Amino acid sequence: MSYAIQTINLTKIFNTRSGLFNLLSGEKVTAVDDINLQIRRGELFGILGENGAGKTTLIKIFSTLILPTSGKVIINGFDILKDEKKIKRSIGLVTGEERSFYWRLTGRQNLRFFAVLLDLSRNKTEERIEELTQLLSLRGFMDKRFDLYSTGMKQKLSIARGLLHNPRILFLDELTRSLDPGTSMDIRLWIKDLTRKGYTVIFVTHRVDEAEEICDRIGVMSDGKIDLLDNAKEIRNYFRKGSH
Amino acid sequence: MQKRYGTIFVRARTKIKMLLRKLSAFIKRDLLIEVSYGFSFFLTILRILSYILVFFFIARLLGKGATPYLKPYNGDYFSFVLLGIAFHGYLSAGLHTFSRVIREGQMTGTLEAMLVTPTNIHTILLLSSIWSFLYTSAEVLVYILIGFLLGIDFSQANITSFLVMLILTVIAFSSLGIVSAGFILLFKRGDPVAMAIGGLSGLFGGVYYPISILPDWLRIFSYILPITYSLHGMRNALLNGSPIGEIMEDIVALLIFIAIILPVGIISFRYAIKRAKTDGSLLQY
Repeated sequence: MSYAIQTINLTKIFNTRSGLFNLLSGEKVTAVDDINLQIRRGELFGILGENGAGKTTLIKIFSTLILPTSGKVIINGFDILKDEKKIKRSIGLVTGEERSFYWRLTGRQNLRFFAVLLDLSRNKTEERIEELTQLLSLRGFMDKRFDLYSTGMKQKLSIARGLLHNPRILFLDELTRSLDPGTSMDIRLWIKDLTRKGYTVIFVTHRVDEAEEICDRIGVMSDGKIDLLDNAKEIRNYFRKGSH
Repeated sequence: MQKRYGTIFVRARTKIKMLLRKLSAFIKRDLLIEVSYGFSFFLTILRILSYILVFFFIARLLGKGATPYLKPYNGDYFSFVLLGIAFHGYLSAGLHTFSRVIREGQMTGTLEAMLVTPTNIHTILLLSSIWSFLYTSAEVLVYILIGFLLGIDFSQANITSFLVMLILTVIAFSSLGIVSAGFILLFKRGDPVAMAIGGLSGLFGGVYYPISILPDWLRIFSYILPITYSLHGMRNALLNGSPIGEIMEDIVALLIFIAIILPVGIISFRYAIKRAKTDGSLLQY
């Protein structure tokens, strides 16, 4: 069976540097510890864990922003060490970081700029912007400057950017972190809908209720390891019993 | 065989087309941001004007032919210093643009958003720097225009020589900038490359005074700096109308400099990227 994401003994050890020129090796910190994971195509997979559990490092490895120390990662059939460009065409990354746009440009100008970096043609860009404007209820905001957006609108534009090139796999890292409960719920419903459209979604959060509500399966991370991996119902029972 | 070459040609054409689209997207992005600041360029013109006037009056004080050191430049200090400070802008752009692009991208979070696209970091870095060189060129034009209005004679200028020197200057200074960007990726702050080259160039590069005024032992520093050859060639091309043959020494010096520093820059930058990705510090600042 071909998976959307597969990891084999994936490990990431950070070597903290010290010394005058930051060249001496310091303490070693294991951020991702021997993870073996298979995520099916079209699955909404939750990665749950406290701050510092290693969730973001894992997503950054999947996004080719951090190199693993050892192990293997196959994304959409491509090895992250050999096919970086092909992987980047298959994935979209959306983070809860609201600064990652050009604040003095409008939403549309921002999306057009990133569309060129994603190698989209002019026609395709306009077509996708139109589709996403409708999908994310961004009409009326696209031609406003980004610095005038509310936090919720900024997150929506971030999602629109992540989906511009219609990637098969979408990483959502702490997406609802700074959103009010209403907007947060809207976005969760919308994420759920994405998997019905065939996307594989990796939803990273530190909130148990949020992960339980929408995910098919959840992996609970702690100290770089996936301690628990089961369907949302079992994870819910597990937490209710208070055994974690 | 013919089919194979045809495919290669189509692929190359598509890549070039895409690259030009990206170039245009970066320029448009930076232009829109610049325009959003309204008076910015207008204030730059005022700054340039006041700076030029200071040197204009110093030159008047000195008078024409006041010193034998300026003889190769028709004895005119104003034209000498105006071209010096104008083209020094390219050194600043080349030295600082690449590291600034990385640092700003890290701080605003836009670097991460760009790095998850299929466009590689080298292309992003190169295209992000274009606006800075265009802006510097606009500033140089303003310098030259104001200089012309204040009486500098450019009627002898050899445009071909000037353009050759300009291209070599941009590549040479950019090579240093790439080394500097690698440094910023690894150490985040306190880039010694930009500090050393920037500081030494102002002192020994012949920006404000001819290097012939320096004692012999200090002139050694002048000869290892690319700005010395760049300014010497530019001044001769624009003020004395020197053809390529007459500025060949400057051209060869810049070519040697590029042949050494550009590969060093590319290799060190690649190493810095790999190490930053290993350390997980690519997006840290």
